[in-house]
Amino acid sequence: MEQSGGFFSFLIENLTQFLSYTGFANMTWGHGIMILIGLVFIYLAIKKEYEPLLLVPIGFGIIVGNIPFTPGFQTGIYESGSVLNYLYFGVIQGVYPPLIFLGIGAMTDFSALISNPKLLLIGAAAQLGIFGAYIAALFFGFTPEEAGAIGIIGGADGPTAIFLSSRLAPELMGAIAISAYSYMALVPVIQPPVMRLLTTKKERVIRMKPPRQVTKLEKILFPIVGMLLTTFIVPSGLPLLGMLFFGNLLKESTVTKRLADTAKGPLIDIVTILIGLTVGASTQATTFLTPKSIFIFILGAISFVIATFGGVMFVKFLNLFLKEGNKLNPLIGNAGVSAVPDSARVSQVVGLEYDKTNHLLMHAMGPNVAGVIGSAVAAGILLSFLS
Amino acid sequence: MMRKLKYYVVLAVGVFISVNSLNAQSINDLRINEVMLFNTNNYTDNFGQRGAWIEIMNMGYNSVNLANCYLTNDLNEPKKYKIPSGDPISIIPLRQFIVFFADNKTEHGTLHLNFTLDSTHRFIALVSSNGSTIIDSVTVPVLAANQVYNRMPDGSSNWEVSSFTTPKATNEGRVEKTSAGEKFLKYDPIGAVMAIIAMMVVFTALIVLYRIFRTIGKANQKAVQRKTAKSNEGKIEPQVEEEVAGEVFAAISAALYMYETEKHDQESAIITIQRVSKIYSPWSSKIYGLRQLPNRSIVHQPKK
Repeated sequence: MEQSGGFFSFLIENLTQFLSYTGFANMTWGHGIMILIGLVFIYLAIKKEYEPLLLVPIGFGIIVGNIPFTPGFQTGIYESGSVLNYLYFGVIQGVYPPLIFLGIGAMTDFSALISNPKLLLIGAAAQLGIFGAYIAALFFGFTPEEAGAIGIIGGADGPTAIFLSSRLAPELMGAIAISAYSYMALVPVIQPPVMRLLTTKKERVIRMKPPRQVTKLEKILFPIVGMLLTTFIVPSGLPLLGMLFFGNLLKESTVTKRLADTAKGPLIDIVTILIGLTVGASTQATTFLTPKSIFIFILGAISFVIATFGGVMFVKFLNLFLKEGNKLNPLIGNAGVSAVPDSARVSQVVGLEYDKTNHLLMHAMGPNVAGVIGSAVAAGILLSFLS
Repeated sequence: MMRKLKYYVVLAVGVFISVNSLNAQSINDLRINEVMLFNTNNYTDNFGQRGAWIEIMNMGYNSVNLANCYLTNDLNEPKKYKIPSGDPISIIPLRQFIVFFADNKTEHGTLHLNFTLDSTHRFIALVSSNGSTIIDSVTVPVLAANQVYNRMPDGSSNWEVSSFTTPKATNEGRVEKTSAGEKFLKYDPIGAVMAIIAMMVVFTALIVLYRIFRTIGKANQKAVQRKTAKSNEGKIEPQVEEEVAGEVFAAISAALYMYETEKHDQESAIITIQRVSKIYSPWSSKIYGLRQLPNRSIVHQPKK
């Protein structure tokens, strides 16, 4: 009898302990809110098709990262030795973003840019968003390192944002990545009002000259010269720029089709899954639900608006020096913020609203890919100044 | 076109030479950074012995080879100790240090000088390989045992007597280091300087890329035109660029996309002359998989 009593108390003790380990026992309001945010991301991705390839892994990652647990069992992403922590290694050490850039390079066609290289300058002007947000972040009391990491949201480039924030302000990386990807998905909402505000009806219907045909030699030279030049000027951008141009050379050389196919296919898919899931999981309620995150979201929106402003206004400025017939449509200026290819698509859609026969997509792809180069260069500068 | 290419080549060579000429000056970036005269319980050499020591710092951003330079404690004898060549120890990496022992024990190796320092011999000079140019020199004040005479901060003209010794390390070790960000915040609290410099760098990089590809593009177009002219054997008609409507491009792009996405090597259906029979099984029957049975629609014929 005594033995059975001992057994029951042992059983109850274990059951009580088990219950104290469950997610229900450790649940807080923060976890609930974050799980809800994760679900919203998944909804936006599936129902509205906003960047589903990114928002589904990130949204699910947010849920994974916010399942309440008792620390000490190597479960959480921040617990040394846990599986998630091993996967997260690629984020904190900046391994994943250059691999994604390799894939982006292998799938990007720089023809539009090569045929009209002055579009490169729009990609430079749109980086104004990064430094505008940097100034605003300093104003809000962030340290220069944090301000640099937040500013890069304006580059509208997820891998670059993750790469830079992992180096400058790792504790803010989750909020910065979520903010960057959210606003990239919201490009069709944020950009058109700014574009309309800054342009006249006459400017919106400017027809641009069709791009000339680009030879294979030019396509091969572009990644080689581009890599040499940009990395000699900003060596700290080497991981991103080197991989971007390497991926592009794999594509354009036409003799490494298998490698290019792997880079733009299975490799980028695997890394996207890993980066999306782990970045999402890094947003644990305790580290994410802070006033800083709210500021980061505000600054992210500001940076996108400034970047769009910079791109559009620079095209208008360029037009002052261009002859009639060579003028650029300012509606392609927004595409300089990177966010490939969504912002180029915005140029096309807004352009068609004013002239049903004026297709701007191919022209907007030039500044769009220039924005990728520009934001990687800007990230390299911030890294060399602030690290 | 050739003139432009020449211009770029000259520009690139000019930048290369000017950048490298800066690096060539790096022997002048060497500084006597810290000196100890009386060493009783401080830094020991590889033989466990203590002696006066001299720390030299490479202030530059390139490694510097000290081989064939001289160290002396007497200006009348500038070539007193020749730093031997062929010893990799004499190479100082960028922003790093080397420590020489003034113990008159050259048999202990490259780092051991053939003179000593004491209260009467307190002058040290680093002389370049020509034996006459003094790279750096210092006269040390009389120091107590284990005290050092060092530059603070590293490499500056400000010398201090200190009991805090830092052989082969920065003299600023005792000072809490400020991060690059803090320095930026001090000199650029608004962030405007950072914004201007960074935008200038981004623009410079992309403007140079633009100029290069504009030149390459033009050269390439001319080469193509020349080739076409040759193949037409002189019967060239001036090419007039027709303005093509955007819809044409859109239609071609759509057609290409459809062609790329819809072409396939394997058909989903198989055409065969063999008899195909389906064996009935409730497991494969579709009717059991339906959650709602289909209603048979009855068409009422109007009565005649």
